[in-house]
Amino acid sequence: MSGLLEVSNVVAGYGDGPAILDGANLSVQPGKVHCIIGPNGAGKSTLLKTIVGMLKIRQGSVTFKGESLKGKRPDQILRRGICFVPQERALFPKMTVRENLRMGGFSLADKSKLEKRIDEIEERFPILGERRDQHAGTMSGGQQQTLAMARTLILKPEIVMLDEPSLGLAPKIVKEVFSIMRLMADEGITILLVEQNALMGLKHADWGVVLDLGRTLFEGPAAEVLTDPRIQELYLGGKKAA
Amino acid sequence: MAEVIQILILGMALGGVYALMGSGLSLVFGVMRIVNLAHPVLIMAGAYVAYWAARLYGLDPLLTLPIAAIILAATGVILYKLVFEREARSAKYSEMTVLLTFALAMVLEGALGTAFTNTQRVTSPDYATDAFFIGDIFIPKGQLYAGIVSLAIISALALFLKYSRFGYAIRATTQNREAAELLGVNVNFVGLVSFAIGIGLAGAAGSLVSFVFSFFPAKHWEWIAVLMSLVVLGGMGSIFGTVLASFILAVIAAFIGAYFGATWSTLTFFVALFVVLLVRPQGIFGEKPELA
Ligand SMILES: Nc1ncnc2c1ncn2[C@@H]1O[C@H](COP(=O)(O)OP(=O)(O)OP(=O)(O)O)[C@@H](O)[C@H]1O
Ligand SMILES: [Mg+2]
Repeated sequence: MSGLLEVSNVVAGYGDGPAILDGANLSVQPGKVHCIIGPNGAGKSTLLKTIVGMLKIRQGSVTFKGESLKGKRPDQILRRGICFVPQERALFPKMTVRENLRMGGFSLADKSKLEKRIDEIEERFPILGERRDQHAGTMSGGQQQTLAMARTLILKPEIVMLDEPSLGLAPKIVKEVFSIMRLMADEGITILLVEQNALMGLKHADWGVVLDLGRTLFEGPAAEVLTDPRIQELYLGGKKAA
Repeated sequence: MAEVIQILILGMALGGVYALMGSGLSLVFGVMRIVNLAHPVLIMAGAYVAYWAARLYGLDPLLTLPIAAIILAATGVILYKLVFEREARSAKYSEMTVLLTFALAMVLEGALGTAFTNTQRVTSPDYATDAFFIGDIFIPKGQLYAGIVSLAIISALALFLKYSRFGYAIRATTQNREAAELLGVNVNFVGLVSFAIGIGLAGAAGSLVSFVFSFFPAKHWEWIAVLMSLVVLGGMGSIFGTVLASFILAVIAAFIGAYFGATWSTLTFFVALFVVLLVRPQGIFGEKPELA
């Protein structure tokens, strides 16, 4: 089975440091929501950073639509349609909301489309229109996450990768964040989600991936991951997976 | 009353020059996290460009300011390629740059001293010794022109940062390097260009310094503490903060100088640096410094 994005047996790490990923595998199916779970330090964020070209692939391969992404720079990968919203600080806190949205279209070759797309996004997310001239850093956590996710839409991406979008948000806001993600998925955008709150993440996903110690331990339909007794015990049992 | 206005005007004019001296330092720190201790000696180099252009060809330092800026910007590119580009990939980057720029400052001081001796220099265009009089108040033309030119250059820089595509890239890289890279900004190129602009600003500031102060290579040590106090009070990396801090401290220093003597005037900057670091290390507009 070959997916939209294929990660196979990837070994990667930071600088000259030890391998953090050591046998990571992932098969991303178009239009689906994929949730990667695993304990702290498992390498979930590292995997996403490797896919977007921030970290060097030491061994193994990452292919997007059959093309190898090995050795490509982040901007080249972005132009192919893969957007990444990193954990926590994805915004420019001292730029206004509107300027943050403009930065979202930094890589667009045709700038004439940019302002129009920003207007569309402000229409869809009225809060961003209301806060247009406010510094992004002064907004609430939920609004900031909304901005970070909405900003990816400017590029009309094929894949959006979200690293713990619910981190530090109140339950009610978390719901909103997931509903924005659902909206994106309904538009046909493929989602790759990393979630510390594994139960919640898997419930919103079609496909589940268990990553531990830099290695993919299990990949399958989210429902299967949720019900697998071993995964339940190790990764879903207590609220905090050991 | 006239005396107070007089001191205020002199302080403001000097504040304008300090602002230009500090803004390049602030820009480089913001984008690259380089505390460039060699910035003042590069200002000296800019002053020498103005000095020799005036002495050899009789050119006005305000006229040769763009040339000094370009020569220093080119120097910046070379320094970046030789010294900082390699270093940027090191894990000990922040600690290393302080030592590195310290060493660079000494090397450049030695080079300037060897080439031009340690004699005090000053360029003396006609306006440097002339003044406007408004009633009892006199405004030295040299300081006034220098202040105005500084503000014009800083305004141009501010507009460039606020509205140009490259300005967006510079601001984005300053505020969140990783996110900027993820949105397609070539952060290494932004680093190089910002460094060149920052050092170019040192060259421009040097041209002004050449007729506002007398200078010699080793004088840059005095400037380091002054410039550090400006960028620290302004909030490391905030150019607007640096400009504001320049005016505040220059005016305070002018008043202290007028009432307690010139020696105490310089002390203003050292005390400000010390107090700000103790009380509010992030300055007026800065984030908490993450130098470690
Ligand atoms: N910038 C870095 N430099 C060096 N090592 C890092 C860096 N970032 C993370 N690591 C290491 O990589 C390993 C995996 O980290 P990663 O952030 O990918 O984990 P994670 O699964 O995302 O965990 P979390 O749930 O806490 O976000 C950890 O051991 C961590 O110490
Ligand atoms: Mg993580």
